[in-house]
Amino acid sequence: MISGRGGAGARGRIRPPRRIVRSQAAGEGADFDACWNMIKEALYDIHNKSCGRLSFEELYRAAYKIVLKKKGEVLYERVKEFEEQWFAEHAIPKIEVLVTKSLINMSVDASSSASVSERRQTGENFLKGLRDTWEDHNMSMNMTADILMYLDRGYTQQEPRRVPIFATTIALFRDHILRSCLNANSDRSIGDILISVMLDQIDMERRGDVIDRNLIRSNTRMLSCLYETEDESENNKLYVTTFEPRFLANSEVFYARECERLLRESDASTWLRHTETRLREETDRCGTTIELETLPKVTKVVEEKLILGHLNDFLAMEGSGLRWMIDNDKIHDLSILYRLIARVDDEKTALRDILQKRVVELGLEIENVLKNTDFSTVQGDGEDGGEGEKGKTLNPAAQQTAAAIKWVDDVLRLKDKFDYMLQECFQGDLVLQAALTKSFAEFINLFNRSSEYVSLFIDDNLKRGIRGKTEAEVDAIVEKSIVLIRYLQDKDLFQTYYQRHLGRRLLHGKSESHDVEKQIISRMKQELGQQFTTKFEGMFRDLVTSAELTSTYRDHVRKLDPEDHTIDLNVNVLTTNYWPSEVMGRSAQSGDSSKAGCTWPAEVKKLQASFEQFYLTNRNGRKLTWIGTTGSADIKCVFPAIEGKSGPLARERRYDLNVPTYGMVVLSLFNDLKDGESLSFEDIQAKTSLSTADLTRALMAIAVAPKSRVLAKDPPTKNVKPGDRFSFNASFQSKTIRIKAPIINAVSKAENKEERKATEDKNNQTRSYIIDAAIVRIMKARKEVSHSQLISEVLSVLAGRFKPDVPMIKRRIEDLIVREYLERPDEEGAPSMYRYLA
Amino acid sequence: MDDLAPPSKYVTLVSGDGFEFVVLREAAMVSPIIKGMLDPRSQFVEAQHARCVFQEMSGTVLDKVVEYFHYWYRYKDSEDVPDMDIPVELCLELLAAADYLGLDQ
Repeated sequence: MISGRGGAGARGRIRPPRRIVRSQAAGEGADFDACWNMIKEALYDIHNKSCGRLSFEELYRAAYKIVLKKKGEVLYERVKEFEEQWFAEHAIPKIEVLVTKSLINMSVDASSSASVSERRQTGENFLKGLRDTWEDHNMSMNMTADILMYLDRGYTQQEPRRVPIFATTIALFRDHILRSCLNANSDRSIGDILISVMLDQIDMERRGDVIDRNLIRSNTRMLSCLYETEDESENNKLYVTTFEPRFLANSEVFYARECERLLRESDASTWLRHTETRLREETDRCGTTIELETLPKVTKVVEEKLILGHLNDFLAMEGSGLRWMIDNDKIHDLSILYRLIARVDDEKTALRDILQKRVVELGLEIENVLKNTDFSTVQGDGEDGGEGEKGKTLNPAAQQTAAAIKWVDDVLRLKDKFDYMLQECFQGDLVLQAALTKSFAEFINLFNRSSEYVSLFIDDNLKRGIRGKTEAEVDAIVEKSIVLIRYLQDKDLFQTYYQRHLGRRLLHGKSESHDVEKQIISRMKQELGQQFTTKFEGMFRDLVTSAELTSTYRDHVRKLDPEDHTIDLNVNVLTTNYWPSEVMGRSAQSGDSSKAGCTWPAEVKKLQASFEQFYLTNRNGRKLTWIGTTGSADIKCVFPAIEGKSGPLARERRYDLNVPTYGMVVLSLFNDLKDGESLSFEDIQAKTSLSTADLTRALMAIAVAPKSRVLAKDPPTKNVKPGDRFSFNASFQSKTIRIKAPIINAVSKAENKEERKATEDKNNQTRSYIIDAAIVRIMKARKEVSHSQLISEVLSVLAGRFKPDVPMIKRRIEDLIVREYLERPDEEGAPSMYRYLA
Repeated sequence: MDDLAPPSKYVTLVSGDGFEFVVLREAAMVSPIIKGMLDPRSQFVEAQHARCVFQEMSGTVLDKVVEYFHYWYRYKDSEDVPDMDIPVELCLELLAAADYLGLDQ
């Protein structure tokens, strides 16, 4: 438009004084006629586009004078009359020619016999004609309104019933063209036909034809410039009232049909790409072909019809649906899917549900694969190995450990996969992140050995995994471990396992890096609280104090007797509560009282007494128990030269032998033995009073392990059994001077069934104490509480540590009632109440 | 007639008694009337030559009007605008001119 219309209303204006105009003699009437004639001539020129010789100022002045003479109304009417007449004579006929029969037929039935190109041609002609007429009219009316500006200022604004002259004249187009039919054979208005033609063209474009976008744009612009009524409010634009609703309805039908077709003929991937293309097209269309204000509405139509219409059907498609995308890492597809779903659903319910289900499925699959793999590997071992009994007894344990690590690795890989997906495809969406976390926790906790496996995984990494890795890589492993721990529900069970594994690592010096150990523990502390890690920290503290203790003791001994350095003692003083009970020799179930430990050789006994004396001088009232299971001893062995042999055997050989503490105890028995004599298993056991299990392990290390076989066994099998006989292996030789006998039980292996049951029982035992404590604490605070409330409070108090099952809580309540901590009040109507007894 | 040529930066305003004032186009555009006259799309004589003749305005009045245009243009975005000096004897004629030029909006 050329300039703004209307503007400030008729606020208190100062009327200009009546000017003394020239040609007074001619009189007012004559003056009006002269002015009007000038304007009329100008109007012709404007319509004929030949106003180059006209002076705007003169015309404006003419209108100005007329208005000043209070002839504004006459001028208004005259101009209106003139324009109506001109319009009837020049504009309407141009359009009438275009409204042909074929056009009308076409707009009634888009699928009429006419071919597409024919239809497009007819439609374009019609649109072009309409556009040209409109542009002429619009241009002329703007110019007219410009020169009549003073009419609006001086007359129209004072008349409440009058609208600006521009609104009146421009509306002629609406009244005389759009709202009339201009063809005797049809009762459809031009506006109606116009919209049908435009929609037909848009449909052609949607089907892939090329159309003249600017042409359609010009026509929507026209509809935007015209209003239903003269008051010209935004909601009354013809574009909004006539075109837009039909466009949206048409789009709805089109996309609903398209969605059906895609569902029938294509797969989900095509659907995704197609939908995205369509959305882009519509955005594009609103920018170039129709008005931008329609964009949110038409987008909504596409979303509803094309995305939501058959969303679940597409997601469930075999071989291309969401499941398939997840399994085949279709990053691009998933990104599109996320973008589409995010448009229509903030919760992304459809995506979330399937995602969660798939995570759990894949998680359980890991477990299943594990079971199968495990089985086959063991079988495979049996086939190609067949190396006697040892292979069979040891391998399953090692397999278990391998299985644990495989499980954790698989879980982590799965997690990486979904994390990557979350970042790459789902833009780190919080809803989906929470859903994924929940699903991971779900399947991890469905697997009843997860606590143990996670701990084994950390154990393996700290023992071997982090060797030669950079700090960043180690950090990543630590982070992964923490993530897994966070998922675990039974944190107390994990605590037990971790304590056990950590204890073994520390005592056997298997830990690769104490820094990393501490790093993990401090991360656990952050995540799970102080209480969770006190024991672990205590273990580290014990080791530090023990190192100090050892060195002060060494000084002490040296002071006492500088000559005596027969045995160098290295002690770890462990605080009972911090260390796992297995290490502390408190495993009560072993029948042959392992607590009694063993009968130490005399030299060792002397040493022990000396240390105890030293230790207790400063620390009164403490009790030291000697535990031989986890220590080791360095002993010097001399093997005699054997006559008649050549090579190394002909010389005397000295070796430094590192054996388990009990191995040392056993070996010391052979010091007193004459050549060629042997001891039976029972003899050794009687002399050392070691438990069968401990003794077996010790003998395995020094009589079976190939590199440290300093005792000869009869029969020479790979297993130690009661009844076997042992003798000094005089012909032992080794390439190295220092030999380390393997510590048989140092490998943190997965538990077998019985062990796990024992752990669980023990854990349940601990849990019942914790539940007792929780119940008593709650009852002490509340005095009286209903059953359901008590249960829910207990559950919430303990949620951070483990998830107790309700029957267990019930049992604990019963137990507390029996022990008279609680009672059931007998009052009627309150059958499920508990009262605290102080 | 050529739409492509950018409109000149200055326009000429001519009084009834022949005084010519060369004014910054942007400043003169404050009057919707002058804006309409000079709109390059409405090929009136004024638009073609960037020259508006005001037959019934004296040089004295137009001088003051032009002064106002530049006054407005200079201070349109500022605060604490100084008053513009209007000679009393011109008041009436200036009011009429302002109404004619649509300067009340």
